[in-house]
Amino acid sequence: MPTSQYDLVIIGSGPAGSTTARFAAQQGLKVLLVDKRQELGAPIQCSGAVSRHALEEVGVTPDEEFIHEPIYGFGIYNEKGERTIIDYRRLKPDEYGAGEGQKPLGYVVDRRRFDRYLMTQAERAGTEVWLKTEGLGYRPNGDGGCEVFLRRFNQDITVKALVLVGADGLQSQVGKWAGLRTHIKITELASCLQFIVDQVETEGLLEIITGHEWAPGGYAWVFPKGHGYAEIGLGVIPTMTDKNAQWHLDQFIHQSFFKERFKNSRILEIQGGGVPLASPLRTQYADNLILVGDAARHVNPITGGGIHTALSGGQIAGHFLAGFLNEGTPPTAQNLEGYQNHWLEELGNKMWKLYDVKTDIFRKNDIRERDALLYQTMASYFSPHSEYKKI
Amino acid sequence: MSKKEPVIFVIGWNACINCGVCVAICPQEAGFISPFDTIAVDRPCDIACLLCEDICPVSTITHKPA
Repeated sequence: MPTSQYDLVIIGSGPAGSTTARFAAQQGLKVLLVDKRQELGAPIQCSGAVSRHALEEVGVTPDEEFIHEPIYGFGIYNEKGERTIIDYRRLKPDEYGAGEGQKPLGYVVDRRRFDRYLMTQAERAGTEVWLKTEGLGYRPNGDGGCEVFLRRFNQDITVKALVLVGADGLQSQVGKWAGLRTHIKITELASCLQFIVDQVETEGLLEIITGHEWAPGGYAWVFPKGHGYAEIGLGVIPTMTDKNAQWHLDQFIHQSFFKERFKNSRILEIQGGGVPLASPLRTQYADNLILVGDAARHVNPITGGGIHTALSGGQIAGHFLAGFLNEGTPPTAQNLEGYQNHWLEELGNKMWKLYDVKTDIFRKNDIRERDALLYQTMASYFSPHSEYKKI
Repeated sequence: MSKKEPVIFVIGWNACINCGVCVAICPQEAGFISPFDTIAVDRPCDIACLLCEDICPVSTITHKPA
């Protein structure tokens, strides 16, 4: 079989990979997008909250196909249950609401449907997609391109590409292939667990519960999940507790100020994952290779949110690579640094600032002081006046 | 730092939720993974930092001597 030649091979069809693919293909690149799974987005490792702005910014129309429930604001709680409500239906009623001419602030999406939707958009833009295809490695081949080794339904296949895009998530192997320093510190990776539950009422708000007592090193959350369901979860930093996330979630459900609210809850799904509360990778490129999304640690270190940053980063990468390759620039590490510089300017520098804010909070040894600062930071982060609210 | 004894990880598959956080924290080179999105269980880990055991949200990773 002759070896196929692509401009881009993208490993991982999550929000970052498929968005990179869509923008690159729209601008004429020949793109192969592969994913090792049979069903994108599964098993779900994410709570699924994303702002409407984040979708619109990358040309994704909010669609019933992937929306669980619209969101209109936030409820931020301290460890005792005192709260700050930031409800945009009240703050800006002309703009936000469920009525005619009003819009939601954001959505909780079904990652299975959302990831599939984004992949479909990439495919319609001209991307070739292979599911059940795992990346095994890559090798720059000296003529300006590289070979990418894949396994598809048990068949080993080598394809040629100018640039390999690692969009393979937090567990990224692609970055390791290139020898990039991808290792994350145990103090900066939250161990998360969440239950999708029935019989817990919500009010169109993303509720965030701070406090060392409930979620040491992270926070707990209650998100609306559509059809009357909710999502209760939390993330903890393993070095800040002797117990696991499961124990903390059990405590939160049965012992916290929400125990009455949760007393009839019934678990419908169990999901978990790692959320980096870390800085972006310092180097996100190598010869014939860049990283996007969680693989590049494009995750908001305050909120742990990664969908917006994956979509925006994918758009930046797709545009950059299209411009770059359409001009015939050789994809050396030196030239691909331009992608990272562009990303820093558009998004990354703000994420570095957020990382500093986050680090200052968790550097405090006094638990009460730290709790107070985290609560205050979260409440101001989501306020309409926050300088960061568009990340 | 004293050299640690290599270990073989044992995963209680009944509790594993395939969240991948063990792979995310693992400092091993590329490929130290199982077909089920966990760290490898079929060969020794000579680093033996055991961070995967610490971070597992359901504490379903243990180890035996290699």
